[in-house]
Amino acid sequence: MKLPNNGANHKTNRYKLLAIIIAVAALVVLPFCIESGYIKHLIIMACIGTILGMTFSMLYSAGLITLGAAAFYAVGAYTSTVLVMYAGLSFWVALPLTVMISAIMALGFGALFVRNAGVAFVIISLIFAQVIVIAIGQAEFLGGWGGIIGIPRPDSLGPVEFATKHDFYYLILAFLLLVVVVYTALYSSRIGRAWRAIKLSPNLAGTLGINAYRYRLLAYVIGSTTAAVAGCFYAHYFQNITPGAFSGWLSIYVQLYAVLGGLEFYILGPAIGAVIMTFVPEYLRVVKEIEPIITGILLLIIILFFPGGILGTIRNSANVSFEGFDARVKKIKASLTGKR
Amino acid sequence: MVLLKIRNVTKIFGGLIALRDVSFDVNKPEILGLIGPNGAGKSTLFNIISGFHSADKGKIIFKDEEINGLRVDQIASSGIGRIFQEPTLFMQESVFENVFSGFHRRYREPVWKAVFYTSGAREEEVTKKKRALEILEFMDLISARDELAANLPHGRQRALAIAIALASEPDLLLLDEPVTGMNPSETMAMIEKIRRIRETGITVLIVEHDMRAIMSLCDRIVVLSLGIKLVEGPPDKIKEDERVIEAYLGKQVV
Repeated sequence: MKLPNNGANHKTNRYKLLAIIIAVAALVVLPFCIESGYIKHLIIMACIGTILGMTFSMLYSAGLITLGAAAFYAVGAYTSTVLVMYAGLSFWVALPLTVMISAIMALGFGALFVRNAGVAFVIISLIFAQVIVIAIGQAEFLGGWGGIIGIPRPDSLGPVEFATKHDFYYLILAFLLLVVVVYTALYSSRIGRAWRAIKLSPNLAGTLGINAYRYRLLAYVIGSTTAAVAGCFYAHYFQNITPGAFSGWLSIYVQLYAVLGGLEFYILGPAIGAVIMTFVPEYLRVVKEIEPIITGILLLIIILFFPGGILGTIRNSANVSFEGFDARVKKIKASLTGKR
Repeated sequence: MVLLKIRNVTKIFGGLIALRDVSFDVNKPEILGLIGPNGAGKSTLFNIISGFHSADKGKIIFKDEEINGLRVDQIASSGIGRIFQEPTLFMQESVFENVFSGFHRRYREPVWKAVFYTSGAREEEVTKKKRALEILEFMDLISARDELAANLPHGRQRALAIAIALASEPDLLLLDEPVTGMNPSETMAMIEKIRRIRETGITVLIVEHDMRAIMSLCDRIVVLSLGIKLVEGPPDKIKEDERVIEAYLGKQVV
């Protein structure tokens, strides 16, 4: 009996592998092809945006829609900054500590938040993100609304330095690739299958022995911790942080990355969305003042007319044209055999 | 051997008594029918057994353990599978993936090995794929394995729901109206499937309005009316019972 390989055969697998190798190679040589420091900055921000978008998608894959994707991004940024600047730790000590602290925080808050996956979670996530921003703004020792400036770049690891944008890019790229690998492994394991199950039908998932609460919590903790690490990198890259940088706007942008790229594409969707949303506004400089309006209109258009996002729309039209092609081939074959 | 004991189960919704003091046994491996007019409490009892509700009074004992009050997934893990009255599938997944999701509690390799995709986990994945195909073959769904569950006709969706439940390897299978809305030939085929499921050692508790299906399929029948157990016994006895006829048709007819 031939086993179905979930739609993919060896040939497409080989093409996939080739595409991945080319993509990674392109990302590695990318900074050498670019002179402008500003473009390099945008690329780094697009990488961070991609990671944040993927954390949104991770929660979405488990049926959780968060309006506060920036919450743990802020937690990670401030935790690491405090550990490095106030406690005098090395970045490389602060990083794992940030992971631990934010994971514990995510576990504690998540245990309360993910009891319900529906509207309750959406609203709680929104409020939580706002409360975090306001709490930081009120905290004098965190610099209040003025934020913290002069955060050092990550310490060099032996001969490897991270002082320049060029070097820092490789640090963030390494983390991005790690997230992609880990997330892909999770999605294709039985954990990912359980996430899909509780998203598509919590009742049916329950009758198959899947504990929806535990799996939601797992997604929440993994997503939040990843966002915290992204925040940590952001703080030490941008070198100054203010509560305003983690406002509700950012959460909306992160959401937009995932929706624009394609909600059902948990890895590639946020990547495409983040790249477009980072670069396109830069080339629409003329309309900088009304950029949020354009963003809002864009979001409306996508949700109303292209609910599958860019990748979803491409896949659907590809399927349709393939079907049309198959039908035509059949017709031609039928007419040929008919003549004979 | 008694697999499931229902003892004095009472359930009250607001002021409405949905079930009052209901008791009966389900033996292994039998096909037990649960019938009664609309509002008799059949679905409520199903929801209590599978953990979507808990009984206000009484005991549900499955394999000698009290399960009343446990979560849905805990009860499922202890070996009770169910299908729902309304189509409940992973609609946006393929038929094959739907069945695969049913294996959740049936992996022996630890989950971290599955994430790292070790050779043991790979082997297990292959055996599970084979098993999924066997189940699809058994439920006559093999030709539809790549289709989206949402695109299947009603009869095949019912079959898929049972296929998913079979993948979870239950000892007791609760079927809520498995042949309702099917045409006579589909009904016949489904009855045959349910018989064969029982032959594999799975006990079946079934709620159904199609009386002909119920009478030909069940070893025993429990009749509920307005939340109270009227009578229990073999189909021949139930057919003749005046209380049952009265419950269904009203007093005047009798």
